[in-house]
Amino acid sequence: MKKLFGHYRLRDFKGYLYLMPALIILLVFTAYPLFKAFLMSFQEDYSIINGSYDGINLENYRELFEDDDFLKALTNTSIYVVFVVPISIVLSLMVAVLINNCGKRSKGIFQTLYFLPYVTSVIAIGIVWSWIFNSNYGLLNYFLSFFGIDPIPWLNEPDYALPALIIFSIWKSMAFNILIFLSGLSMISQDIYQAARIDSTPRLRVFFRITVPQLKPIIVYAFMMGFINAFKVYNEVFSLFQGKAGPADSAITVVYYIYDKFYNSADYGVASSAAVVLFIIIMVLTMIQRYVTRDKEA
Amino acid sequence: MKRFNKTITAVFAAAAMAGVLAGCGSSESAETTTAPATTVAEASETAADTGIQPTEVTFWHSMTGQQETTLQELTDQFNAENEYGITVTILNQGGYDDLRTKLTANAAADTLPDLAQTYPSWLIPFLDKVVPLDDMVANDFDDYEDILENYREENSQFGFISGLPFNKSTYVYFYNKTMFDELGLEAPETWDDLIHIGEVFKAEKDMVSLGADDMAGFLEAAIRQNGGEFVSEEGALFDNEIGQEAFDYIMNMYNNGYARLVGEDGYFSGPLSNQLIPAYIGSSTGVSFITHEDWELGVASLPGHKQDAANTAGTNIVMFSKDANQKKATWEYMKFLTSAEATTKWAIDTGYLPIRTSAYESEEYQTFMENDPTARAAYGQSEAFFSSPAFDGSADVTSEVNATLEEVILNKEDSTEALKAVVEAVNDAL
Amino acid sequence: MRSKKPSAVIASVLKYTFLCLGAFFTLLPFLWMISSALKTPAEIIKMPPVMVPEVPQFENFSTAWSAAPFGRYFINTIIITVLTTVCVVITSILSAFAFSKLKLPGKNIVFALFMATLMIPGEMLIITNFITITKLHWIDTYKAMIVPWVSSVFYTYLLAQFFMQVPDSLYLAAKVDKCSDFKFMTRIMVPMNKSAITTIGILNIIGCWNSFLWPLLVTNKQEMRVLSTGLIRFQTEAGTSYELIMAASCILVVPIIIVFLFLRKYVLEGVSFSGVKG
Repeated sequence: MKKLFGHYRLRDFKGYLYLMPALIILLVFTAYPLFKAFLMSFQEDYSIINGSYDGINLENYRELFEDDDFLKALTNTSIYVVFVVPISIVLSLMVAVLINNCGKRSKGIFQTLYFLPYVTSVIAIGIVWSWIFNSNYGLLNYFLSFFGIDPIPWLNEPDYALPALIIFSIWKSMAFNILIFLSGLSMISQDIYQAARIDSTPRLRVFFRITVPQLKPIIVYAFMMGFINAFKVYNEVFSLFQGKAGPADSAITVVYYIYDKFYNSADYGVASSAAVVLFIIIMVLTMIQRYVTRDKEA
Repeated sequence: MKRFNKTITAVFAAAAMAGVLAGCGSSESAETTTAPATTVAEASETAADTGIQPTEVTFWHSMTGQQETTLQELTDQFNAENEYGITVTILNQGGYDDLRTKLTANAAADTLPDLAQTYPSWLIPFLDKVVPLDDMVANDFDDYEDILENYREENSQFGFISGLPFNKSTYVYFYNKTMFDELGLEAPETWDDLIHIGEVFKAEKDMVSLGADDMAGFLEAAIRQNGGEFVSEEGALFDNEIGQEAFDYIMNMYNNGYARLVGEDGYFSGPLSNQLIPAYIGSSTGVSFITHEDWELGVASLPGHKQDAANTAGTNIVMFSKDANQKKATWEYMKFLTSAEATTKWAIDTGYLPIRTSAYESEEYQTFMENDPTARAAYGQSEAFFSSPAFDGSADVTSEVNATLEEVILNKEDSTEALKAVVEAVNDAL
Repeated sequence: MRSKKPSAVIASVLKYTFLCLGAFFTLLPFLWMISSALKTPAEIIKMPPVMVPEVPQFENFSTAWSAAPFGRYFINTIIITVLTTVCVVITSILSAFAFSKLKLPGKNIVFALFMATLMIPGEMLIITNFITITKLHWIDTYKAMIVPWVSSVFYTYLLAQFFMQVPDSLYLAAKVDKCSDFKFMTRIMVPMNKSAITTIGILNIIGCWNSFLWPLLVTNKQEMRVLSTGLIRFQTEAGTSYELIMAASCILVVPIIIVFLFLRKYVLEGVSFSGVKG
């Protein structure tokens, strides 16, 4: 950062012409409302209707951190992120590599099959999964019964609601990950694999020595996005529990909390402060993540 | 890495600056947007004038299928028959949640439609945008007393008349008459009957015999049936003996396996249709989702205790028009939709309830009721209708009560603990 | 051709078993959607669930289709999807190129700003954006449904990750040959990353096709509505006609699947850098 603008010539700013279209849209439709949300979080009893408020202070944040529901939402969301993101990425990577190793025809078929959840009606997905989790007739309990496990009331008991949500979300996030991994795998030069084959390198070694390093930018991307999106989980909760947050709100997440406060309770200030807290958490963790991935690059 | 840190600092600084700018804008608009409310009085003074200029009125609604068809028919009739050249356009704006979000957004942008279906609690953030109807009702309305008392109360709770009732329903007791007959049971009339039914089903069929789609509504009805009050802006009003008795009854039902939570089923219409539960309490409009091909469906009024009390649901129509002519035109349409003739047609076509006593008593509706057990059950309890009060925080109360009730039931708490937990949840929410 | 060792056969069997088992779970909701579209209301709520309807109710499709002006919705959705996707692809290529290859003073600040916009839930932005759209008098216009979505950090970042893999040596070589940045981008970067660009195109088409709340919010009139808003026709406060929703969903998904099958080969068809790398 030492060489500030003085060190650059005007033509160095030409690159900004390329960024301009995206930048303008982002400033108007994302950055501006984002800043308004920041401001709102410090305004006590803010009214979105006429912009009135009682004062600028930390009242919303006090209320937020005294709310057990928010703390529960934070805990749930953290557990959710820790499980969903890595498991989904590892599984997706496995599937993508296996598909990529198939013959041309089956490659196309599997690619299409694994992509189908992405185009299937969200409502259908919600219904099918609530049936899979059904305590009496569900597919999952049926499978588990082979291992002598008694039926689990996945969607009826608070203890199982979050695990059910995690399983569902892993499944749901895989279609996207597989698609981008396949796209990334197609970019890896076949010559490298050819060379490995001639040397008869073991497959596992090929995977860790060639595939993973070559795919690293895409894996980093999938991790980063999966991570950010997992922190913002909302739709999955909504569709699995039919609009609720699970039995006795046991699967409440931060964005579910925000949505409820904003649209149901008209508590705009508290909703905004929750969004800011979420923003800061994601920001800090993203910085750490960037630090970790960068270090290895060097 | 240092570089990235500095970047972040810069982002925060930029955020803070833009925030300050945005702040100037919003406090300014605070002064300008509150103004329109004051023009209401002068506009309604002229309401008695007959001169209405031809104009277009927009009505935002959430009705689909048959409901929308009937609404369109009624509106077409109004458009053809009114003498002022008023054209009403009805516009579906999605489900209730979508409509509510749209209304909030449009209230913020000051672009509300002339008329919309709303629940009272939706209006709280933008009450000053609602056109008070008091003068129009007083000077230019056909027999206001004919509208059911509970509906009038619901629409007067903000200190002025905020709307007129439109698509109204009530909670009733749906049951599997075939199963009840087999066990020699009658439809329940009291809490004790419900407990008896619970015991019989448990003993004879090992079945849970009651469910409620809306737990907070179930609790509120129980407290009122016991002669108590539910909540107010100050907090819970049932932290007393009346409330304790209601909780004794509810926890007895759930802890002994006479009643269960809806859980993964979402609505009880599914389990009832599949004969997995013999009875449940839910909205009268839910009847269209009950399939009963090989068994007979029975519908009864809600069982009472010290007195009867039955939840109502459904929206009112609320006016947001701005200029005087627009208000007069919208009012003409509101009068038409709430007329005895229109509400009768509406009720018969859609299964919603008539909003006027005279409509209930009309020959047309009486004939209809003979073949419609749901309508009969609803009519049978129309004297006992109540609606949940709306106030700042009432939405929080409902969701907290729902979650806490589920929790105490899942934990099989005893009724004293359960009451304590729910009271605490209500008071914390406010 | 390579000869198959027994261990390779076993590995191959395991691989296909694993993939097929996984495919079963991904296929299930899709098949369910089709089978539900052919059910009666009684079969819909049956427990244990009915897999195959006894008598397929094909009229569900015509009932669903006539419940809303879907023809008009189709046209609107196609216009919005095509325009938005074209714009998104262009803006994403431009920004990804700038981030990955161009010398950009303060690149990190701008990139962090870009990323920061992803970290706040979209639900928080809706009302403010709605007010902006109202002030622009864009309610009930295509613009309102297109313009806010023509730039995407999500896709920009993805493309940038792909662009980054194109060796810098190629860029420098082009510079020496007096190839302009723009020419390098269009002639070399874009063709080399066809796979990634197609991927973001597909993702965006699906996103547009299914977007619901925003189009509903910025349109009041029926004639401006999009397909996804037609689905709410089958929901009421008391319950949902799932068979009709599923029938409508089946109809809506057909164009998407056609587009996907058409573009699929580009996703798998990468370009090798072997000539340049190493």
